[in-house]
Amino acid sequence: MTSSERGMSRAVSNVAIYGVLVVLAVITLVPFGLGLLTSFTSARQFNTQSPLSVPAPPTFANYLGLVDAGFGRALLVTALMTAVILLGQLIFSVFAAYAFARLEFPGRSTLFWVYVATLMVPATVTVVPLYLMMAEVGLRNTFWALVLPFMFGSPYAIFLLREYFRTIPEDLIRAARIDGASTLDVIVHVVLPASRPVLVTLALITVVSQWNNFMWPLVITSGSKWQVLTVATAGLQSRFDAQWTLVLAATTVAIVPLIVAFVAFGRHIVGSIVVTGIK
Amino acid sequence: MPNAWVGYALLAPSLFGVVTFLLLPMLVVAWLSLHRWNLLGPIDYVGLSNWRSVLGDPSFGTSMLATGAFIVLVVPVQTVLGLFAATLLARGLPASGFFRTLYVLPWICSPLAIAVLWKWILAPTDGALSTVLGHPVEWLTDPVLALPVVSAVTVWTNVGYVTLFFLAGILAIPREIQNAARTDGANSWQRFRHITLPMLRPTLFFVLVTGIVSAAQVFDTVYALTGGGPESRTDLVAHRIYAEAFGAAAVGRAAVMAMVLFVLLLGVTLAQHRYFRRRISYDLV
Repeated sequence: MTSSERGMSRAVSNVAIYGVLVVLAVITLVPFGLGLLTSFTSARQFNTQSPLSVPAPPTFANYLGLVDAGFGRALLVTALMTAVILLGQLIFSVFAAYAFARLEFPGRSTLFWVYVATLMVPATVTVVPLYLMMAEVGLRNTFWALVLPFMFGSPYAIFLLREYFRTIPEDLIRAARIDGASTLDVIVHVVLPASRPVLVTLALITVVSQWNNFMWPLVITSGSKWQVLTVATAGLQSRFDAQWTLVLAATTVAIVPLIVAFVAFGRHIVGSIVVTGIK
Repeated sequence: MPNAWVGYALLAPSLFGVVTFLLLPMLVVAWLSLHRWNLLGPIDYVGLSNWRSVLGDPSFGTSMLATGAFIVLVVPVQTVLGLFAATLLARGLPASGFFRTLYVLPWICSPLAIAVLWKWILAPTDGALSTVLGHPVEWLTDPVLALPVVSAVTVWTNVGYVTLFFLAGILAIPREIQNAARTDGANSWQRFRHITLPMLRPTLFFVLVTGIVSAAQVFDTVYALTGGGPESRTDLVAHRIYAEAFGAAAVGRAAVMAMVLFVLLLGVTLAQHRYFRRRISYDLV
């Protein structure tokens, strides 16, 4: 092959690669696009014309219908739940990870082994016993039941942070100590600023998994009081089975905030998924 | 040792969480498996009767078989597609990063909302797919089609996520090795077969194991798409546990099923840990 022939065949193969990449992108995006489009179609148009007809004119009626169906409250509960869990998860995981990474105390390695062992407990298995425990202490259908199981820091987050904290130079911490800093000062002023990437990672993973959480809120809440978005969407779909325009507005509300977050922080998320390997 | 007390104080909240919400539930689920409870009334000790009733129950067998078939349908397909997409993205052509980000979108979204979206797309009369095809197909109520269709939606959700791992694995392979093989005259298929694939073995193993563990616990997708039907063909084990506890109010039986699932997943996870202990130099995971 001459070099121009090689350049030619490379150009052809690049075109083929882009072709496949675009096909995969279309398969990924089309369901979202159709759902979004239909959420702006009036119920009357959806029922009288083709279900795939372009909304003419586009209407917000479905989104207003969601407000009537109590989605405002569900959105608020979901946001509040996610925020409380995120805050607790970050603070308590940082505390534990710092203790494991930087402090000496009897029983440290045993305790760490216990934390690591709990990584193998699947969420599906704990739902039933957790339900009994919450019922026994009278927390069924409360905000606390939504957040308590997830807000004290997860073993995985602690494991991840501990690995990172161990790479912070000892000199930085010793220098702060000599200046009379307490352990809390060291965490806030030395450790946290040095760990920004891993903290962003952890925050995003927590927001994604909690915003999307379904099985636990479904089980532990009832009625509209503490209903989260996923549960409200599922309820809407089973109540208004044929009102797809309304239902698709609901899925759009459940999906879009995370896509926006993803586009804003996508770089971090993509890297962090690979680092953590968890949802 | 003043440090010790600081250490214990810092650990206290998370230790409370780990003990209360991870370890204690494992004891409670074992205890519940020996009791009868209907979610409201008293809890009665019944010995091994839940175990006998679940292990001899054909519907649990059906559910485990459906879960096994689901794993077989989902995991190999998403792995091969993810590997394929990763090899294309690894060429480093312009906009590869854009495509990589785009492919992960379904995985980042709520599986429940995704399932409801697909429920509409697959709806027989007013759904998107039937409209495009021009005639109605009972994708989710046909006993033969339902499980493959639920599997396909799951694969659609997961492929971008799997792609990320393979892409990171491929990019971690030293370029000199690929270049040396190219100099020796190896074509791109030979390089893939004899260099890329062997060096991706740890990634492959990780993707397979985590794929199995998560596929074995799929709940939201089943709940919204089929509710376990038709004829229990899509009644995957996580959905069976839910239906047993919160539909049939047979909490003891649900506890038995949860323990069976736990033991099976523990086996898969321990196999993974043993594998990785032998490969400590591998730093992706």
